[in-house]
Amino acid sequence: MVRTDPLGITASSSLLAAGALMAGVALTGCATRDDPPPAPPVIEVGRPFPALHLPDAADGRPRSIADFRGRKVLLHVFASW
Amino acid sequence: MLGIVQEQHPDRARLFMQWRRMDWPILVDSLNLLGVSVVPVTVAIDEHGIVRLVNPRRETIEEAFLDRTFEPPPETAAPAGEARTAPGDPPGRWAPVAAWRRHARDLFLWGGPEAIGPAVEAFERGASGAPDAAATFRLGVAYRARYDSPAREPGDFRRAVEHWERALAADPNQYIWRRRIQQYGPRLDKPYPFYDWIPEARAAVRARGESPVPLAVEPGGAEFAEPVKTFSADTRPATEPDPTGRIYRDRGEFVEIEALAVPRAIAPGAATRAHLVMRPNLDRRAHWNNEAEDLLVWVNPPEGWDVDERPVRVPLPPALVSQETRRVEFELRSPADASPGRVTVPAYALYYVCEDVDGTCLYRRQDVTLEVEVRR
Repeated sequence: MVRTDPLGITASSSLLAAGALMAGVALTGCATRDDPPPAPPVIEVGRPFPALHLPDAADGRPRSIADFRGRKVLLHVFASW
Repeated sequence: MLGIVQEQHPDRARLFMQWRRMDWPILVDSLNLLGVSVVPVTVAIDEHGIVRLVNPRRETIEEAFLDRTFEPPPETAAPAGEARTAPGDPPGRWAPVAAWRRHARDLFLWGGPEAIGPAVEAFERGASGAPDAAATFRLGVAYRARYDSPAREPGDFRRAVEHWERALAADPNQYIWRRRIQQYGPRLDKPYPFYDWIPEARAAVRARGESPVPLAVEPGGAEFAEPVKTFSADTRPATEPDPTGRIYRDRGEFVEIEALAVPRAIAPGAATRAHLVMRPNLDRRAHWNNEAEDLLVWVNPPEGWDVDERPVRVPLPPALVSQETRRVEFELRSPADASPGRVTVPAYALYYVCEDVDGTCLYRRQDVTLEVEVRR
């Protein structure tokens, strides 16, 4: 069932953490191990939703919010625990 | 309507959807790639893929979102994230950790069950050096996924918990990660039972004439246990079954036992949940013998520590012999004045095991230790 976390934290404050885009890094042999790691995707009002592909729970196929371009989407992020 | 579910086990999400008749698309984000730290979160995304509202209010969502037409953004900003939907070739030897993380993610999401081993190795490479907390959490998810798979390696569950704890220590406000630990932790720490809905869901689905989505991994005791406000120590008088250690030992020849306390580090006065996972040694064709007494676990806690059940008895199945994995769980509480440091809690299991289906059956004892660290 969907449960609300009994937290004092607002979702927006946790989601609006600043971060860079997941930069594409060339898979070359000359890069170093000290390159900065990619920041997580950011959900922020006024910005594009992250272009993540995730498995569809029904069949495991990749799906993305971009598949719904042209339609409005109400996205519900929840947990099954 | 679209959903993204934060769930380690995708088939549990499928059962949940079947029960609730969710016929809208739901995506599974086991690795928490979205980066949310709490749930639920609702996001209103316009026809151009732009986030317009986070947690919109029901009273105003029509006016503020549904009835509005949004103009395309003045410039096309590339959305964060990436669009890979299949694992590629492994990065080169000296590739940056970021490349290994992407490769690990692609193997985990799109490589199928046989890719979990290479995915774990790629996550390990991606977490080398000084990994950020998210990479550490995802490595923990990968270890747990391998633990739940046929490719399981000894210590995978322990490694998963270790990495989740490390990630949470770096970001204690990340409640998706915190819940992953609490799922297997003591009742004192649990905000709710987690998977108590599963029996109800199965019954409801069967009542509709459907077959419930099968689960590859049944939730264990910790995942069903009711939260409690106070620790309930077992103070009943009990006689130790083998105080002088006279019963012959099984040193893993017949049964392999993985012992783990979750969490591994606790404050003075706090509780931890012990997990003993017991598997008959299939290479030696070992079987449980179910004709005699119940499997029994005895714990000898250090001075001042409490146990919630002693001894722990595990009822035997009706089949004369069997080879199932047995999971024994109990909880320990440290004294309120416990000194910081590592504590070893000795315990042992007593069981009947047979050398083969028709082989000789023996009564054996196996000693285990639980490592707990007390931290102020």
